[in-house]
Amino acid sequence: MTVALLLAALLAVTCVVVVALPFLREPEPESDSLDELDERDRRRLELLEARDRALSALKELEFDHRTGTISDDDYRTLVGPLRREAAHALQALERDSSQP
Amino acid sequence: MIALSVAAVLAIFLLYTSIAGGGNPSVSPSELRGRTGEMQLAGLVVGPVIGDAYAGGLRFRLRDIGGKSRVAVPVRYTGSVPDLFKIGRHIVVDGRLRQGTFVAEPGSMITKCPSKYAPKQSGDPA
Amino acid sequence: MPELGRAALVVTLGLSVYALVAGAAAARLGRRRLALSAQNALTAAFFSTLIASAILLGALLGHDFSFKYVARTTSEALPTAYTISSFWGGQEGSLLLWLLVLTGFGAAAVRLNRGWARDLIVWVVPVFAAVAVFFAFLVVAVASPFATQPAPADGAGMTPSLQNPYMLAHPPLLYLGYVGLTVPFAFAAGALLSGRMDERWLVATRRWTLFAWTALGIGQLLGAHWAYVEVGWGGYYAWDPVENAALMPWLAATAFLHSVMIQEKRGMLRVWNVLLVILAFSLSLFGTFLTRSGVVNSIHSFTQSSIGPWFLAFIGLTVAFSVALVFWRLPLLRSPTKLESPVSREAAFLYNNLLLLALCLTILWGVVYPLLSEAVRGEAVVLGRSYYDFFLRAFGLPLLLLMGIGPLIAWRRASLRSLLTTFRWPTAVALSTGGLLLVLGAGSSVPGLIAYTFAAFVTATIVLEFVRGTRARKALGAGSWPGAFSSLIARNRRRYGGYVVHASIVLLAVGIAGSSAFDSVAEAKLARGQSMEIAGHTLTYLSLDERQSANATEIRATLEVTRGDRDLGTLKAGKNAYTIEQQVSNEVGIRSDPLTGEDLFVIAEQIDPDGSVYFRVFVKPLVNLIWIAGFVFVLGSAITLWPDAREQRKLVTRTREIGVPATR
Repeated sequence: MTVALLLAALLAVTCVVVVALPFLREPEPESDSLDELDERDRRRLELLEARDRALSALKELEFDHRTGTISDDDYRTLVGPLRREAAHALQALERDSSQP
Repeated sequence: MIALSVAAVLAIFLLYTSIAGGGNPSVSPSELRGRTGEMQLAGLVVGPVIGDAYAGGLRFRLRDIGGKSRVAVPVRYTGSVPDLFKIGRHIVVDGRLRQGTFVAEPGSMITKCPSKYAPKQSGDPA
Repeated sequence: MPELGRAALVVTLGLSVYALVAGAAAARLGRRRLALSAQNALTAAFFSTLIASAILLGALLGHDFSFKYVARTTSEALPTAYTISSFWGGQEGSLLLWLLVLTGFGAAAVRLNRGWARDLIVWVVPVFAAVAVFFAFLVVAVASPFATQPAPADGAGMTPSLQNPYMLAHPPLLYLGYVGLTVPFAFAAGALLSGRMDERWLVATRRWTLFAWTALGIGQLLGAHWAYVEVGWGGYYAWDPVENAALMPWLAATAFLHSVMIQEKRGMLRVWNVLLVILAFSLSLFGTFLTRSGVVNSIHSFTQSSIGPWFLAFIGLTVAFSVALVFWRLPLLRSPTKLESPVSREAAFLYNNLLLLALCLTILWGVVYPLLSEAVRGEAVVLGRSYYDFFLRAFGLPLLLLMGIGPLIAWRRASLRSLLTTFRWPTAVALSTGGLLLVLGAGSSVPGLIAYTFAAFVTATIVLEFVRGTRARKALGAGSWPGAFSSLIARNRRRYGGYVVHASIVLLAVGIAGSSAFDSVAEAKLARGQSMEIAGHTLTYLSLDERQSANATEIRATLEVTRGDRDLGTLKAGKNAYTIEQQVSNEVGIRSDPLTGEDLFVIAEQIDPDGSVYFRVFVKPLVNLIWIAGFVFVLGSAITLWPDAREQRKLVTRTREIGVPATR
């Protein structure tokens, strides 16, 4: 019975230590604020995602065309808008990068 | 568009279940008196259990589960008897009341296993 | 030792509460160290739960009957494997297992993703912690596995019907599935709370969702197989609320897996996706609530359980909180992309979602109808099999067809011309298969015939995709055909893994159609030497044997099976009478035909004292395809789940571009 109590106490203490670890390791940090994405980063992330979406849509179209799922005619119809979208996305990223 | 489809689908269920029915009222032995029509009877098996489910019918009685009612309804059952059937088990049967005896639909018995937290299904629902 | 177990669970509860409060505070105030501390608390909660679990397992294996739980679920004579399985065989133990998997998954999901999604993780932690608080509270205060008593001489033992290998695999797999769905939910809620509605929450949880969905699917298939061979009433699914409890979240998760692909490719359906994941998670909670509380299987509760109201309250709280969260963040979720055409891949996926959801809601309605009708009309009305079968066909058959259409139709807009060319060959295959089957007599069941025809269609589309892909790969210079095939799959794991999974569903559909639409049944009371006929087979009752095993008397009737003039061997069916537990179990005899996948299924319903036996025999065509489908399903999922180095690199590059450090 006492063994169990001892072990329980040990467990509790260990857990408290584990939980307090970040504070024990860095009692006086230079910055305690969370690494967050600011407005700028979030916008950039969205643009990156838009770019990746457009590029992967193009890739998929190419793949479908190569395997014969999409006919030549359909490919010609579809590839134009997709290429434009990709170009837009890349341009938007460029503009964003050039801003301070 | 999505909302409309969902609403349409829901409307289909409501219509189906209220018009086509397809469901039977579920009652306990104490509620059985005087009722007619197809029903699902749920209760506790009370002995004696006599007869043969494949010749003439298995006869036993059902009482309310966990209730204070002492009403025990005689049941005549034919067809497949699940493994877990015995006196003291909770079971469910479909059928109708005929002259004081609940005549069950053949093969409609389902038993529940009270010792485990999940019910055990072993009958073929009609 | 039970004191240590109890203490460990209290520690878990404490840590979970801390993780919830500190985690929420850290997220709100943007405190790094506090956030880290909350994460550590989640990890520590896993370890203390692990200790509690080890203690319970030790008590079970050591036959320590001073533990009430051990005494209730095991006995001295119980084989070790089943003693282990009794960990999750009862209420308290299964809740502990749930908590263990939950804290484990939580700790892992957080650790794996905190490097690159720190601002998201900081909100995921309190959500996970909240769920952990609920389950920890249950095992500490409501249903503790560590209740003690003066130890009796022996335990109550395990119901014989649970003493089989399925009990070892079926519940844990289901739990991996149920609990696994907490991960995408927590990340979705975290994303909503943080306002970070970018794709990261989807990317982080994709594999978790897939894994949970696979586990839930296989768990159910095992359950069906168990019902088929062990419970032995001749079927594998009875639309019992307990079975439906697992099917509903699985259907919602299937819908979710598909609609996230649309969000990934087109940025659409964001609101739909978060609502779906909330539904899937809520249904998994509801599912376990149904199984435990016994509230819908009867009108006057078969199992008295105090756990029900707690679950109901938590589910209500979760749904209310989540929906409110979605409403709050609605402006962030709206996307400008609209559906361009009702004939497109997006539309096909949307129809797929609607059908899956419709089926899921049908089942939900069927499950709660008795409760609702009792509340409204004063008497509980139970919906029977015909209700479920009708809607399974109404929604399932179009779903089957869509599986073939979706992958081949173009994104955004598909022209009529392209449809004609793409689907020319599969349609031809389907129609000729249908025609052939009709000639062979499959017209006896219209839904069955339709199922077969659609299955042929989908199979043709899948084969076409693989052939076309391999050919294109070879043209790019991949060397040999096998080489082209494997590199095709390796480079497009999600796509082709998905096709394999679809193939498994086709097998499942064909197996279900064959065994339910085209089966035969015959009953006869036979004395020794007599025969009966079914679907071209002749069964002759030869003899009755009795045998004593360790804990039961086994009675078996031997039957000889012939078909025409071919001797197909013998089959045994009978019953086991368990001495201690005073129970009788049905032991069915099954003969599976390796070529046709057909089963001859014999039940010895009743054995009379004079030796005559009442037999019930089924012939179930193609039923073994259902079990084979399980293997194909796992294969397909494995391919899709497999880590993709290229995908990883792309992710790392993206996060680097916005200045988030790729590792801590």
